[in-house]
Order: sequence, then C-alpha cells, then structure tokens
Amino acid sequence: MALPVNENPSLLDSLRVERRVLGALFLREALTRYGRHNIGFLWLFVEPMTFTLGVTALWTATRSVHGSDLPIVAFALTGYSSVLLWRNMPARCIGALWNNLSLLYHRNIKVLDIYIARLLLEFGGATISFTVLSLAFISIGWLDPPQNLLEVMGGWFIIAWFGSALAIWLGAMSHESELVDKLWHPISYIMFPLSGAAFMVDSLPPAAQQIVLYIPMVSGVEIVREGYFGNRAHAHYDLGYVLPLCLVLSVLALFQVRKLSNRVVPE
Amino acid sequence: MIRLREVRKIYPTRFGDNLVLDRIGFDLARGERLGILGRNGAGKSTLVRLVSGAEKPTSGIVERHMSVSWPLAFGGAFQYMLTGQDNVSFISRIYGQDIAHNLAFVEDFAELGAYIKEPIRTYSSGMRARLAFAISMIIEFDCFLIDEIAAVGDARFQARCNFELFEKRGDRAMIIISHDAGYIRDHCTRWAVLEKGNFVEYDDFDLAYSDFKEIIGVSDRATAARDSRSIALVARDRLRLLEFSHRTALNDDRFKALIHEADWARDRADLSRQAEDWAAAETLYAEALALFPFERSYWIQLGHAAKEQGDLARAEISYRTACALGLPAQEVAVHLHFVMQHQGVAKEDYPVRTFHPGKLADQLPGKPDIDLLGHILWNVDTIQHDVMLDLLRRSGSFDELIAEMIDSPRFAGVAALDQVPHRAAIQEPASEGAEHTLPWLEYVIATYLSTVRGGDRMTLLEQITSAEQILPRLIEKGAFRDFERTHEALKRRTIEDNDITAGEI
Repeated sequence: MALPVNENPSLLDSLRVERRVLGALFLREALTRYGRHNIGFLWLFVEPMTFTLGVTALWTATRSVHGSDLPIVAFALTGYSSVLLWRNMPARCIGALWNNLSLLYHRNIKVLDIYIARLLLEFGGATISFTVLSLAFISIGWLDPPQNLLEVMGGWFIIAWFGSALAIWLGAMSHESELVDKLWHPISYIMFPLSGAAFMVDSLPPAAQQIVLYIPMVSGVEIVREGYFGNRAHAHYDLGYVLPLCLVLSVLALFQVRKLSNRVVPE
Repeated sequence: MIRLREVRKIYPTRFGDNLVLDRIGFDLARGERLGILGRNGAGKSTLVRLVSGAEKPTSGIVERHMSVSWPLAFGGAFQYMLTGQDNVSFISRIYGQDIAHNLAFVEDFAELGAYIKEPIRTYSSGMRARLAFAISMIIEFDCFLIDEIAAVGDARFQARCNFELFEKRGDRAMIIISHDAGYIRDHCTRWAVLEKGNFVEYDDFDLAYSDFKEIIGVSDRATAARDSRSIALVARDRLRLLEFSHRTALNDDRFKALIHEADWARDRADLSRQAEDWAAAETLYAEALALFPFERSYWIQLGHAAKEQGDLARAEISYRTACALGLPAQEVAVHLHFVMQHQGVAKEDYPVRTFHPGKLADQLPGKPDIDLLGHILWNVDTIQHDVMLDLLRRSGSFDELIAEMIDSPRFAGVAALDQVPHRAAIQEPASEGAEHTLPWLEYVIATYLSTVRGGDRMTLLEQITSAEQILPRLIEKGAFRDFERTHEALKRRTIEDNDITAGEI
C-alpha cells in the first residue's frame, strides 16, 4: 500500500513525525559516532568523563587557585562539565549539514532536525557524564550531595540552552561561510578560562565581576555551583540578563536556519 | 497529483546569476510517467530535486498531493560508516515502517549476503547500487523520481528493477531522467525536453527526440568538433589521444545521441534482418565515429553493421581498427576470423594483431591513422577500401605502414624540404579564432609530434595551410626519429628524386 499523504496534519500528527525523525537521526548519529566496537555507546559519556577526570586530576595536582574554599574536586567537576556542555555543542553543529546534506531528500527531515539530533546526543553525553561522576565522587565521599538539586538542573539547563542556541546559529552560518569554523576554535579556546569554569566570580574584584557576568556561561556555572554548595559558593549571576540573551540568540538561530533551509542545495 | 507552476530556479554564482529553470510548469497524475531529455547541465537533476522537495524554487509553486520518493538509485542518504542493515533501519524509522519486514525484503532483493552487516564503505559500487535500489523500493511512494538508474547492475538485476518499477508499480507516477534515451522511450508515457531553462512537453517520443537532437546538434556540432580536436591539442601522444577520445566521446551529448540512434537501428535490424536497417545503423555509427575517430568502443559495431550487409572488406577494416585502437583482440578475433574466412583468406596469412602500448613506431595503426597518412604522404582525402584493407592487413606497426606508403607509387614526394620552413615563416598567420584549413592536422600533431607542446602546436597549426607542407615540417620537428624502415624508405626516395639530402633526416 502506498505511503499515505496527510495533507492537513494535526499538531499531534506533526509531533509524532518529529519524534520519529529525531529518534531515527539520534540513533544514526550515535551509531556513526560511537559504532559497535569495544564499548560502543558507552563512549557517549565515557569520553567526556575522561576529560573531566583528567582536568580534575590536573587541577588537584597543581592545587589550582580558584578563589574559594570549595574542594578542588567539586570545583573542577562542576566547572569542566559545564565547559564540555557549551563548547562541544557548537563544535558538533558547525559543518554538520555538509555531512548530512543528502538527508534532506527525505522530506520529513529538516535542517533543524539534523542540528537538534546532534545537540540531544551532546547534551545526553555531557549530562550522563556529569551525573555519573557526581554519583561516583559522592559515593566515595569526595563530594557532598548537592544542596539544591533543582537549582543545579536549572543552571545546567541554562548552559545547555545557551550552548544549543549558539550551536544552531553557528552551525547554520557555517554552512555558508567557513570563517565560522576557523574562528570558533580560537574563540572557544579563549572563552574557556573566562567561562567561569576555573574561577568563582566572587573572588574577582567588583569591576571585573560586572564584566565577567556579561559572559552568559558564567551565570550558568555559578548557579550550578550554588545549587551544589549552597551559600558556601557565594554565587553571582544575573538571570535578568542571561535568559533574555538566550532567547534572542535562539530567535537569531531559528532565523538563520530558516534562511539556510530556503537556499540549501542538497548534493 | 504533482503540480508545478511558474517555477524558476536561479543559482547565484560568482559570475552572476545562473537561470536554470525559467517559469516552467506541468501536472503529473498517478499512472503517468514523464521522461525528461536534456543536455548535461540543462537542469534535469535540479528539476527532480525541486519536485522531491529537497530544494526550494526561487519563485513559483511546487504542489505535491501525493507522496514523492527521493531520487532513486541515489540511495536515500547512505551513511557510509554504518552497515547496510543500519541504513535500512534508519530509513524505516524515518518513515515509521516495520524494520524487520523491510530488512527481509532488502536482504532478498539486494543479494548482499553477509555484507548486509558490514559498513557500506566496504561495498563495491555494484553492491551499493543494489542496496540503494532495494532501499528505494521499501517505501511505497505514489510518485517515484528516477535519476539515472538505467546504468545500475547487471542485466538480470536491471530486469528485476524494471519489474519492480514498471510492473509492480506501474500505477504510480514517475519522472525519469536518463542518458539512455532508449530507456526513456520504453518506459515513459509523456516526454519533455529541457533546454536553456525552458520545458517543452511532447506526447510523442520521436518528436521529442528529434527536437532534442536538433538542440544538441545545433548547439553542439561546432562544440563537438572543437572538443574532439582540442583533445588532439592536449593529448601529448597517440596513446593519450586514444584515452582522451574514449573519455570525451562517452560524455559528449552529440556522440551519445548518435550512438543511441545507431543502437536502435541495430536493434531494429536484428529483428527485421533488413539490409537497409543495417545500412542506417552503419551510417549512424560512422557519423558518431567521424566526431571521435579515435574512440575505440564502436568500431566493432560499425564492423557488424557492414558485415550484416555483406560487405566483408569494410567489416574487416573496422574490426582491425578496433584492435588497433585498443579493443581487446579476443573480443574481436572471432568476428575478424569469420569475415576473413568468408573472403577466402587464411587467418594465418594476416593474423589478428593486438594493440600494444609502446613507442609509436611499434604501435598498431588503424583506419583513422591511415587516413591521416593518406593526407600526409599521398595527398589524398580518401583511400579506397581495398587499398586500406591491404595496408591494415600487412602492417604490424606504424613503421612498416609508413615505409610501405612511402614506397608506394602513390607517394606524393617530399616537396622541397629545405625551402619549406622559409616559406612557412612568411605565411600570414590565421586570424584569431578562425578555423584553420586542415581540420585533421591536430590529430597528426598529437600522433607524430609528442615532443612539441602547447603554443608551438598552435603556431604549427597556423603555419601549415596545405597538405604538401606537412611531411617536411614533421621531419624537421623530429617526427619519425626512431622509425628505421621509414628512414630507409625516405632515403630510397631521396636517391631517386635527389630532392632532399640524406643528411637532413
């Protein structure tokens, strides 16, 4: 029987198709990236975990100055996990369409779906890695359980939102200009020390605090840390700035995707 | 129903906008099969992408009131790191279909065996094509887009594809693009020609095809001639000339169109057994080969057409030429023996000679080579068949052939070698872009002057304006340097004519 054509799909029908497409893309992406060899899917979070563990070990060994009395392990875990989140998302979306252009022949697959599938995978990996390491450290007593789990999640989602919007925007722009790819590497590298992963805002002079809070990831990391450590963290953040910024960035990203969808030439 | 209205597609390029489709429109209902003819780059694939929805028109409307496939044979976006099985699962998930059921069908149809569980990058191109087609068949679309599928797989697989498409799914709509005009003729119910952004529809294939031929004939005749000769300019030597001819001809619209028509005439003749059908086929093959005389693939067909009309000598010329241009001798031998036997010639007397690369003096000459030498050595435009055949049979190498032609009473002489360069030097160079007088001269230069390159070749082309000037210029430029017999033959001539001094050769 021929494939039925639904000329007036309800929102529910459309959502069902979208879920199917994202599911298929997600699996395809995961299989392509991690394959079936050795530990396969586990790499999804083992990879970011090794990163975080390495950095944690390094910072512990060098007794990094971070300007608070938080234990260094806890500091590194919250800091570096956040970096992985906002930095890997754009890295995975830049140029993503070039490798998947032919997918556009399937009418239900849209440009945005390709980005969303990758972001889901990236978010999943970073989140599982963060959770597993937290549980591991908590269970061996290097870390206390978070004081406010909801707040940790809130901060985490803000970082993820910012990372996703940025990723989609850069990804869509990168399809038409390779400058994006060239510039993102140095920029992300420079942003790493400024992103709040390696310091607490509280430890900076007040003038610097004002400036640093313009960097959206900083607020996210601070919130995560406040959720984890409560008042010990002395967190500084500005939701009135970060949330509208993420919103504007998301709109920009969607505009860019729409523009790209109208012009993209598959294969 | 698929409906296109006022569809325009413009690609911005660095050199300005490229208008690919200019306000085209058509309707396609279920059960209709539209075949599209057009030159390379005419926008056929763009049209298919617009209909598929993968790309959007610059302006105009593309309405789809039925499900439309991705372009078939293209495979629905393989991920080469994944296995065939993964790819089937992916497509099934996208379209919300039963994975196990689809997998069973693909395994059965594509005949990949254990490879279905291996990454696609390990597949041969044939296996990829089979998998691509099988995957295309698992989703039951109302309209199938078929972009160049005729070339896929062996005859048995093609028969199965045709069965799946045209028998089992004969009630669907289809848009078919193919370089094989015969495929379009046999499988479509409507036809259209796409040219310069315009889309013209036909109810009759022959009409569509004759217009298509006119388009490529009018716009390409000059180009084809230029193409085939510019090959001669870039080809460093005869071996490269053969290779370039082969590649260029098979991508040349006009050559392909002539060959298609010739093949149809041949198929007709196969059924009718009428001499005039074979004559038509022979004329068409000969026309195609006139565009690319050093193209090896179709000389054997030309030979068959002559043989069927009972002209065994002409057939033998074509068969021997096929060998000389590099067709494997074992493909030709049986036919060659047949025509020789029926002419009462023992095959031991004139053995089947095989192509061998190496220095030019030792290579095996064919008819186009002898035609060139006819111009150079005998100053004639055509050589009679009996003479041609005799030369082909007896010469096993260029050296033997040229010596023989110099010794022949037809030899036109080496006209005052010492004077020619001076005379040529004061020659008016041909005006920019003008056709020079000797269209075959480029082939001569490519064959005999492998040491002369680029600009010097152009200069030679401008300077040489008559056939008599060629031989001295060739010798002067170092042609025939290691042709021993040719040297001896030329010496014999020199002593006779006392026109040139032996030391100059």
